[in-house]
Amino acid sequence: MVPVSAGRLLVPVSESSTLRNTVAYAVEQAFESAGESDRAASIHFVFPLSERYTYGTEPQAADEAQSLLDRVAVWAEEDLGDNADAVEIETALVGTEEYLFSPGDYADVLVRYAEAHSLDRAVFDPEFNPLGTTPLLPPLENEMRRAGLDVEDAPVQRSRRSPLLVQRGTVAQFLALFAASFGFYLVLAGSLATFELVTGAISAGIVAVVLWGVSLTTPLRPGRTVMQFLRLLLYIPYLLWEIAKANLQVAYVVLHPDLPIDPKMVEFDAAVWSPLPITTLANSITLTPGTLTVDVSKRQFMVHSLTESSREGLFGGALERAVRFVFYGRAAARIPSPRERSGEEGEET
Amino acid sequence: MTPTEILVLVLAAGGVFFSLVAAVGLVRMPDLYTRAHSSSKSETLGAVLALAAVAIAFGTQLSTIKAVLLLVFMFLTNPTAAHAITRASAEQGIEPWTTEDDDP
Repeated sequence: MVPVSAGRLLVPVSESSTLRNTVAYAVEQAFESAGESDRAASIHFVFPLSERYTYGTEPQAADEAQSLLDRVAVWAEEDLGDNADAVEIETALVGTEEYLFSPGDYADVLVRYAEAHSLDRAVFDPEFNPLGTTPLLPPLENEMRRAGLDVEDAPVQRSRRSPLLVQRGTVAQFLALFAASFGFYLVLAGSLATFELVTGAISAGIVAVVLWGVSLTTPLRPGRTVMQFLRLLLYIPYLLWEIAKANLQVAYVVLHPDLPIDPKMVEFDAAVWSPLPITTLANSITLTPGTLTVDVSKRQFMVHSLTESSREGLFGGALERAVRFVFYGRAAARIPSPRERSGEEGEET
Repeated sequence: MTPTEILVLVLAAGGVFFSLVAAVGLVRMPDLYTRAHSSSKSETLGAVLALAAVAIAFGTQLSTIKAVLLLVFMFLTNPTAAHAITRASAEQGIEPWTTEDDDP
């Protein structure tokens, strides 16, 4: 099953939470096949570093990459222990003189490196992602397979990114959920007949039992919730007005004979903190025409914007400020807008 | 015509207009992301205006409350769906169209 020369591994690395385990797996694989081959087993850890990082803007990126490689080499030697002679460890920065952008670019650089050093098997860290946000791995692996390399993911546990969805609920949460469901059912039924009361109680009971551990997981604080709700009532007309205003702009753009659009993907860190405010902001951004939330990880929003003026509005931060007002009160609304927080980002992106 | 009737007509006409804009946008836009713009937002406003017209036309009935609830769920679910679609495509590595690209 294991190819004869499987002891020569190419392991692309980048900063990730599963890197340590990937290194351990690669070392183990190389060591196992060290005896089977007549050629020396060896692992090449490579860091694909695009030209855009080595020139100009971010010179420290090269240093960081080098120190990561040094760290990886230390780990590998640690894993080898007394058998350090059996497997040869190499590290390299690749692609430093090219502009790497697409998965194809990365595959190209890696395949060339593999050919130059006669490596025929690539082990990938499942979290390997030098591009940051856009996932790169599946297309990259396909490209490399096409080039004749043996490609596999290291079987390491991905770290859990978010807390468990299902948590233990309290009795108060159960009752709140039951009451809300029951009330909603009666509103829809529109009567208080015995039949509605009984079926409503059964339905609300089922909902509360099933979703007990999923919704309303934060402790209830009635006072704060009421204040938030009141401020939300202020926010809704504002949002509706924004939606109506911005929709007219988009209608103009769409119906204009020249279709004057200038779409771009922009990213920014929003100054909102917990899941509900982040969801509210993300949905508000999507509802306000010209901007569409594509991805949110922690506080970083990736927003697709249709026109220049919609980007201006986004970085102006009016929506973000309004959401902060709803959830945290008036003081929080005075936090600076995204543009003021990072002057150059708003202009450059 | 009473003022209520006029209001209902204006709202319904607005709903039709924005739904039409959404449809035109869907045809004219160059790629998935820009199309999601028109389908998620102009569409939402169109549906919401139409529902508001329904709510007012019914006057003070239970159906009014239901129409308002529908309206709220529209606002909650439409952006979420648009987000899910665009996020999935971003994860598949689909590059957004920009003005530098050739005209489709």
